[in-house]
Amino acid sequence: MAAVKQLCKSLVQPLLAVIIGLLTGALVIAAVGESIIGTYQEMWKGAFGSFYFLTSTLARATPIMLIGLGLSLAFRAGVFNLGAEGQMVTGAISATLVALYLPAPGFVKMVAALVTGVLAGGLWSLFAGYLEARFRIQLLISSLLLNYVAVLFAGYLVSEPFQDKTGSAAMAQTPMLEKSVWLPKLFAGMSVHAGFLFALAAALLIFFVIRYTPFGYEVKMLGQNPFFSRYGGVNRVRVMLTGMFFSGGLAGLAGTVEVLGSHYRYVEGALTLPNFAWTGLMATLLANSHPIGVVFTSLLLAALQTGAMGVERNTDVPLELASVIQAVLILFISAKFSYDWWKNRNNKRRESHGAV
Amino acid sequence: MENRLEMRGMTKRYGDFTANDNVSFTLKEGEVHAIVGENGAGKTTLMRMLYGMEQPTAGEIAVNGKPVVFRGPEDAIRHGIGMVHQHFMLFPDFTVAENIVIGYEPQSKGLFQRKEAASAVRSLSERYRIPINENAKVSSCSVGEQQRVEILKVLYQGADIIVLDEPTAVLTPLEVKELLQTIRHLAESGKSVILITHKLQEVMEVADRVTVLRGGRVTGTVSRSETNADDLARMMVGRELQQLTDRVRLEGKPLLRVQGLNVREKQTLVDDVTFSVHHGEIVGIAGVSGNGQSELLEALTGLRAVSEGKVYLGEKDVTGQSVAAIREAGLAHIPEDRYLWGTAKRESVEENALMGYQRKPEYMRRGVVLRSKFRRVVEEWVERFAIKTGSLHLKEQAGNLSGGNLQKLIVARELGQNTPLLIAAEPTRGVDIGAMEYIHQALLEKRNNGDGILLVSSELTEILALSDRILVMYKGRIAGELTRSEATEEKISVLMAGGSVYGSSQAAM
Repeated sequence: MAAVKQLCKSLVQPLLAVIIGLLTGALVIAAVGESIIGTYQEMWKGAFGSFYFLTSTLARATPIMLIGLGLSLAFRAGVFNLGAEGQMVTGAISATLVALYLPAPGFVKMVAALVTGVLAGGLWSLFAGYLEARFRIQLLISSLLLNYVAVLFAGYLVSEPFQDKTGSAAMAQTPMLEKSVWLPKLFAGMSVHAGFLFALAAALLIFFVIRYTPFGYEVKMLGQNPFFSRYGGVNRVRVMLTGMFFSGGLAGLAGTVEVLGSHYRYVEGALTLPNFAWTGLMATLLANSHPIGVVFTSLLLAALQTGAMGVERNTDVPLELASVIQAVLILFISAKFSYDWWKNRNNKRRESHGAV
Repeated sequence: MENRLEMRGMTKRYGDFTANDNVSFTLKEGEVHAIVGENGAGKTTLMRMLYGMEQPTAGEIAVNGKPVVFRGPEDAIRHGIGMVHQHFMLFPDFTVAENIVIGYEPQSKGLFQRKEAASAVRSLSERYRIPINENAKVSSCSVGEQQRVEILKVLYQGADIIVLDEPTAVLTPLEVKELLQTIRHLAESGKSVILITHKLQEVMEVADRVTVLRGGRVTGTVSRSETNADDLARMMVGRELQQLTDRVRLEGKPLLRVQGLNVREKQTLVDDVTFSVHHGEIVGIAGVSGNGQSELLEALTGLRAVSEGKVYLGEKDVTGQSVAAIREAGLAHIPEDRYLWGTAKRESVEENALMGYQRKPEYMRRGVVLRSKFRRVVEEWVERFAIKTGSLHLKEQAGNLSGGNLQKLIVARELGQNTPLLIAAEPTRGVDIGAMEYIHQALLEKRNNGDGILLVSSELTEILALSDRILVMYKGRIAGELTRSEATEEKISVLMAGGSVYGSSQAAM
């Protein structure tokens, strides 16, 4: 009973955030002069209105979920990895090159590409962790800046050495992958692909690891109180680096399944323009870094985006409606953080003065 | 004679919880009235209501016979109530005089009159015989001096009723003596003092009357001449106190050997410390907080780098090893600050209990922690130490446990490691008498089983009650060593303050 109560309590805040987000969206819709109910109906239809739209939402949620899950692992350990975008791109471009050029049969190539994507994303992320452990370079900053390095370098690779020269228009993209390495679609003709299953599996795996393994325990306690963990013999650097590796690895996997499951080539900007990484970050924050929660929040955020596309198709309300609602969500999340911080600070004060 | 302060039927409820239940309290002119009670007895709540920081649910306050309502500390100050908090609120870069007059500065044409401030402070200090140097910077003052600054500050603000909140917790024994004298002087010159404390000896030395609180209610108000420390303790706890088990004489082999240990970080924090702890022995380290004890323990437990010297645990050289390796070699550790080092407040009791056990093979199978097996162990601890966990039991957030219960959980966890050496730092700081008895008893039993304990405490009574041998630390060094039979409070006090004991065998060079 108490556990159910606890769960409900943890759900109140994200739900409240969503409701206030939708109310704010309503103001925008009213300003444009459209019907509020009608617009939100269009949004619902655009996200879940038919099997096609539903599966599109699932497809869009896939990379968001994988990234969000990776970040939830890092955040649980108190490690602020802001480099998901770079890790995703590094994973994606490495996997693409393996899928293009590895001389092996199709299935082997696909598995190799997936593994490469995870490793490349993980190592890129590990690099930021190493910089902190070795040189005390703030991870928050280094991981953020490494995004630019990764995204721009991948952009160079596909516009120069590995550019697809076959087409008439010189786009910044690699050649098309051969069909044998494509990830299978889950339903014929629908955009959702096997990557979605990977994401669900990853959610369960992370949930299990955090809950039942010594490593998960150490991750959690490190995030809760680093001093206590050190005192208990937890090796902070090892947990931090492991956390960073898997966090980046999942981001790398996110990029890889996008390439192998939907684009079938690395296209410059195809991963960064839809803001998968930052939406994933939001999904994690909204779910309070709970892996199962991330599944739902990434579905929610993906639905908001695909729904807004439906809104734009059928009404005069622009696509930016989704951004407005998301912005309110972000505000809410940061307000919650400041509130927690404030409450903690006051508690600490009370403790130090109230020891009578 | 009329009462200077009267609190009648004070009640404070937080939801279902009653922190103060119909508490009445009177204070006469020139009286020192001590309020004693265990943690959570309601002392803080009562004082917060008096100082306007909490609004009472019921009850009334009268100052000099007139009913008053305090909406905030400013109201209380205006009615002549001054509070000296346990943690000082001073500006370290300002002078003593500036800190005292702050908020009520002598002014002329809008300009601060520094000289006038200094002379006002001077005369105040002479009048109440509270020695200070009004021109010194607060940052260069000792803790005792800073406390005097705080007392002068409330006097300057015109307080007739002075509330001292655990004033002796941070002082050396000599400074405590001076403070108690100051309190007497204040009372003689007509001020009324409320002394909040849990140290009964001090109460017996200085108070005129004592009010004992237990569970939010007054268990009695007695005058000092009609009571003694044992009676007060009984009134606080509500039962007879237990006697500690006898100590068995044990001649054990050396267990922990520390040789020439130095810890430096910009300055020398631990200075050439050499000592050992044997099997079946409790070695107490006495000293005023901040004389290198914390750093010494951190170096021994692997939390801080050793600059020079060696640490042996049994036969093993553990100098500079990781925390995990040192724990593995046979060390458990009750940390000094239970909130910073000892727990994760937002995690459950069970999660907090697991720390240090999460990789033990007996609680693991195929990489998974055997939660249910471990839970049974925690249940045993909870039962053995009578830990009150709250409604959610093992799922309760650790931060919701009272200080004493949380400390018992930590003690149980570290004793459960069953290591030959236990480091116990301030094992009973801020816990109530009941919990203290439990913890002392448990430490003594561990010693009698042939294990070694290194006890660090700033409470002399605790050191004297438990230790077989006592080391005193002063400014990072071992200032002296005393055996159980030769140790007295006086000798230790002198060493703690940097003096030397004539005839002590190993005084610092």
